[in-house]
Amino acid sequence: MRIRVLLSLLLLILSASASAEPYFAAQQGLKCVACHVSPTGGGMRNAYGNVWGQTVLPAHYIATEGSSPWTGEINRYLAVGGNLRADASYTSIPQQGSTSAFDLEQLRVYLEVRAIPDRLSVYVDERLAPGISNNAEAYGRFWFDNQRFFVQAGQMYLPYGLRLQDDTAYIRQVPGINFATPDRGVEVGIETAQWSAQFAVSNGTAGGPAASNGKQYSLRAEHVQSVWRAGASFNVNEASDTGNRQMQNLFAALRTGPVVWLGEADYIIDDSAGPRRKQAAGLIEADWKVHPGQNLKLTAEYFDPDTAIDHDQQNRFSLLWEFTPIQFAQIRLGVRNYDGIPQNDLQNRTFVFAELNGYF
Amino acid sequence: MASLLPGCAGSGAGLDANGQPIGGGQDPLVADFASIQSHVFTPICAQCHVGAAAPLGFRLDAASAYAMLVNAPSVEVPSLLRVNPGHPESSYIIDKIEGHAAVGGQMPLGQPPLPQSTIDVIRQWITDGAQASAALAASSGPTQLRAVAPLVDGSQSMSSTDNAGDIVIAADGELDVSSVNAASVTLTASGGDGTFSDGNESSIGNLTIVVRSLNPTVLDIRPAAGTLAADTYQLTIAGTGSTAVLDLSGAAIDGAGTGARGSDFVMRFSVGAQL
Repeated sequence: MRIRVLLSLLLLILSASASAEPYFAAQQGLKCVACHVSPTGGGMRNAYGNVWGQTVLPAHYIATEGSSPWTGEINRYLAVGGNLRADASYTSIPQQGSTSAFDLEQLRVYLEVRAIPDRLSVYVDERLAPGISNNAEAYGRFWFDNQRFFVQAGQMYLPYGLRLQDDTAYIRQVPGINFATPDRGVEVGIETAQWSAQFAVSNGTAGGPAASNGKQYSLRAEHVQSVWRAGASFNVNEASDTGNRQMQNLFAALRTGPVVWLGEADYIIDDSAGPRRKQAAGLIEADWKVHPGQNLKLTAEYFDPDTAIDHDQQNRFSLLWEFTPIQFAQIRLGVRNYDGIPQNDLQNRTFVFAELNGYF
Repeated sequence: MASLLPGCAGSGAGLDANGQPIGGGQDPLVADFASIQSHVFTPICAQCHVGAAAPLGFRLDAASAYAMLVNAPSVEVPSLLRVNPGHPESSYIIDKIEGHAAVGGQMPLGQPPLPQSTIDVIRQWITDGAQASAALAASSGPTQLRAVAPLVDGSQSMSSTDNAGDIVIAADGELDVSSVNAASVTLTASGGDGTFSDGNESSIGNLTIVVRSLNPTVLDIRPAAGTLAADTYQLTIAGTGSTAVLDLSGAAIDGAGTGARGSDFVMRFSVGAQL
């Protein structure tokens, strides 16, 4: 038993991983909770998600004689997982030349202790690198009514819109609810065959200390059918001294043959940082499964930093090829072209990257 | 969804490089706090580091940045100051923007690193003593105070479990810091009922008052025990009487913010109300 745990931890260190990709769920006609421990997706994969990621996602499954696919389950009471992202990138900025770099984006390990299997568990998402370790998520969750309802408390990612893996997408960066900003609070949720909904109350400080009696309230609801899904989110943060920040979005996905379409539109009214500012952000994404283990991703994004100011809008276009040759390892090659106002060089940069994405 | 149509990036007509309407032209980046604020902190850092949801409570908007930076301990590595005047090599902000901090990723997160020329300017500003800009340091009227942390607008709360929970008060000018002492700064606990008029209040003694900067004066007020028990608190900085806090001209502060000298600064907040 001890050897098995040690081997599992060793594999965690050596492997790399795939985080939340909503197009996976839309492609399969499943909800996020079908593959992830978290009902809103991202982070640790459950047994089904692990097996799917080894036997369906890659071009080839390398079978190991005498053993079944890895499920992440050390035993009935303990499960582990992990993610590693390392990349090489090239950035070209007009008037400023270009830079290139190798980076370790993240090494995360997940641990779920199931005090009462299928009912009560403690979940930890620990970011081990880069730098010293820090905690992303840590909460306890209790399921009841045959896993129809749950309540969880601790530090967690807030439910809001499409939980894309890419935190630099406008719809992740502008609302400020992403994998860099977990918050401390309580979340309740309901999971039925076709509905997934969550409501969270949190400090509204992105993991920092509570700054006021005002809290952040997050509501997300999604209706899921086999070929399409649609949902909406509403979020208000009352933790600021100067005013509230209110956000709302609509999001949807549609599968047409080998192509999955994702879309989200966000509208933000911000009174928390000076004079009122209204912002808009949106994304359209197409994911084309060109071959088993290969996905071509095309995204078009829009961002209006202040709807009261004309001519300041920004676009971003991305083209990515995602190749998963074997289980646990994915290669991502991509280019992102930023298109903003001409007098800001950073808003007109081009970003090219190659990423090793390991999941476990 | 109409806004999602591609090909509609702004032309930038009539805007400066930060996407704001042109007012007086865009000056080049120089080693001055106001210049760094307008070229770097506001357009780049304050995209995320703003408002109550600023990561780890670290805000870099124009109203908060100076008090949050200069001589302020880092939350991620408390042994380092975010900006250590005169010492860029031991300033945590430099570690973060150069990408060799002990915790977390390089800033700005998910964006290209700042150009080395920009980092050099920030380094130079720190080397030069991390002075505030003249406009930030100069008060045209009676000296007023405001709370930088916790964010307050009345009955508010702060954490007692994190060093970011320090009470940080900024003046809009320079105070005579010799007048800032245990007699002029008092912290009172409500006794658990949230009120301060029924006789069960208690005074929190042995406050540590750290002057983060002189001009503008930024005060970091910490209880001797390090943390506060769950309760509602009232911080009072005297602007009246023999213990009044004075500005450099010897005039008492305008604590109430009425435009007239000689009134107390009073702030209430709660501890332990966080989920």
